[in-house]
Amino acid sequence: MSDQPVTNLSESRLASTWGAVTGSWLPAAILLLATIVVWEAVVRIFAISAFIIPAPSEIAQSLVAQWGTLMQATLVTAGEILFGFLVSIVVGIAIALVIVRFDWLGRALYPLVVLFQNVPKVALAPIFILWFGYGLAPKIGLILVIAFFPVTLSMLAGMQSVDRSLLSLMNSVGASPTQILFRIRVPHSLPNLMAGTKIAATLSVIGAIVGEFAGASDGLGYVIQFASTQLDTALVFAALLLVSVLGIAFYYAAEVLERIIVPWAPKFSHA
Amino acid sequence: MRIETIRAAGGRPAHIRHDDLISAKGVSVVMASQLVLQNIDLSIPKGSFVSLIGPSGCGKSTLLKVLAGLVNPTSGSVSIAGLPPVEAARKRMIGLVFQDANLLPWKNAVDNASMLLGIADKSLSRADLRARGREMLELVGLGDSAHKRPHELSGGMRQRVAIARALALDPAVLLMDEPFGALDAITRDSMGESLLEIWQRTGKTIVLVTHSIDEAIHLSRHVHVMGIKPGRITGSLDIGLPYPRDLSLTEDPQFVRLLVQLRTMLRASHQPGGAS
Ligand SMILES: Nc1ncnc2c1ncn2[C@@H]1O[C@H](COP(=O)(O)OP(=O)(O)OP(=O)(O)O)[C@@H](O)[C@H]1O
Ligand SMILES: [Mg+2]
Repeated sequence: MSDQPVTNLSESRLASTWGAVTGSWLPAAILLLATIVVWEAVVRIFAISAFIIPAPSEIAQSLVAQWGTLMQATLVTAGEILFGFLVSIVVGIAIALVIVRFDWLGRALYPLVVLFQNVPKVALAPIFILWFGYGLAPKIGLILVIAFFPVTLSMLAGMQSVDRSLLSLMNSVGASPTQILFRIRVPHSLPNLMAGTKIAATLSVIGAIVGEFAGASDGLGYVIQFASTQLDTALVFAALLLVSVLGIAFYYAAEVLERIIVPWAPKFSHA
Repeated sequence: MRIETIRAAGGRPAHIRHDDLISAKGVSVVMASQLVLQNIDLSIPKGSFVSLIGPSGCGKSTLLKVLAGLVNPTSGSVSIAGLPPVEAARKRMIGLVFQDANLLPWKNAVDNASMLLGIADKSLSRADLRARGREMLELVGLGDSAHKRPHELSGGMRQRVAIARALALDPAVLLMDEPFGALDAITRDSMGESLLEIWQRTGKTIVLVTHSIDEAIHLSRHVHVMGIKPGRITGSLDIGLPYPRDLSLTEDPQFVRLLVQLRTMLRASHQPGGAS
């Protein structure tokens, strides 16, 4: 390779491909691997008790040993997240549409929504258990109150940032408020909405786990709580790992959705 | 000028001056307790090309919005072919182009070009709209970019789509507010040439707001100079140069004479004037 003359073009293309790979996940992967190795080493060298900090190998063992239970719990939690997430999106969008379309209702609703956002929603978990029991309902309720806000807020921001001259154009040909809403404001808000949806995806995971902490007989949150009372810290970490995987999965699902729904949105890259 | 009765849309006869398509009489606009426009009289003949030029803040955009029916004058009256501007706009008689093309990023060029027409005329099918959009893109020289989305178009091309969108309404009047203001000098020149061509082919009446003295002389038949504080028309200049005009015009001694004249008028218009 070194004695072959390489054109500038292919050289730079090679460099940029390499740059794209290293620029995206390689450094993160190396750091992660290094952390695991150091973690394992430190736990072994200092003989740290497994119920304080389990070594990665112990977490892996626990993951394998409890695979069936963990998968069952993951499925339950994933179902709650998905359901709650979808409800949050629908409710979040509906509130935003009402605020924009019905001026007086919007002026009444918007301050209340913002006020409600300042209530520590996690603290509502026990009340929801009290009202709705131990089933799916309180988890969906909790996810909803935690996750609808970024959806509403981002969609509002998108709908209200339509250029005034564009509105002038629409008004000059006699477009109705409903036409302006659905032909201009809603599509214009989609990039913002998708950004809000990604935040809602992450918050939905938190909502589901908190809901399970407050009262559940199944799910990853329940496993974490149960395992910590048993001092089975390795299992706690194994469940945590699966919660994180769920979080990442939902986030990327939202991102894939974004690429499908708003392919025309200005791309933002980390490179 | 001869007064005659013509049939206005809707069958009612209307008395308007024979060839004035746009007329403003004693138009004043007060906004936020500030006199933005004072006693504007303007009559623009059908088929004419008129430029408005003046210092920033003198109310050019506001005047254009008054003509478009987007701003109501505080006093005075405006008519477009004998109709109040809002009514004229509803009858698709007014096409608007602003400095920003304001295309919908989720629609391609054809659908952007026919977007306003689709709202103005609900009876048109999707295919009709597409056909009309395509026809207008051809007219502005974008026939082969019909399926491109706005982010795939240059600034000049986007502005051409915006012009196509206005023309798709088949308006009698094209009101343009610094349509080439955000473009580089070369693109600007070629846009100007295209606009002249479109004007000659379609016979539209064009009112152009511009900051460029060259552009005003190159393109228009009449130039109205506006002054500031309060916004008013301080002078008008007939550009007697024959059409078709091209860019070699800028070396014409007549052009240079007009340039000097207009610049002098503009300089005077920068001085605030008292109420008259
Ligand atoms: N909606 C509004 N409310 C209050 N004042 C306004 C409004 N629109 C315009 N004005 C004022 O009217 C004056 C004229 O504004 P306008 O935009 O018409 O000027 P312009 O000649 O188009 O300026 P430019 O060349 O910078 O575009 C300005 O002083 C502006 O502050
Ligand atoms: Mg202006």
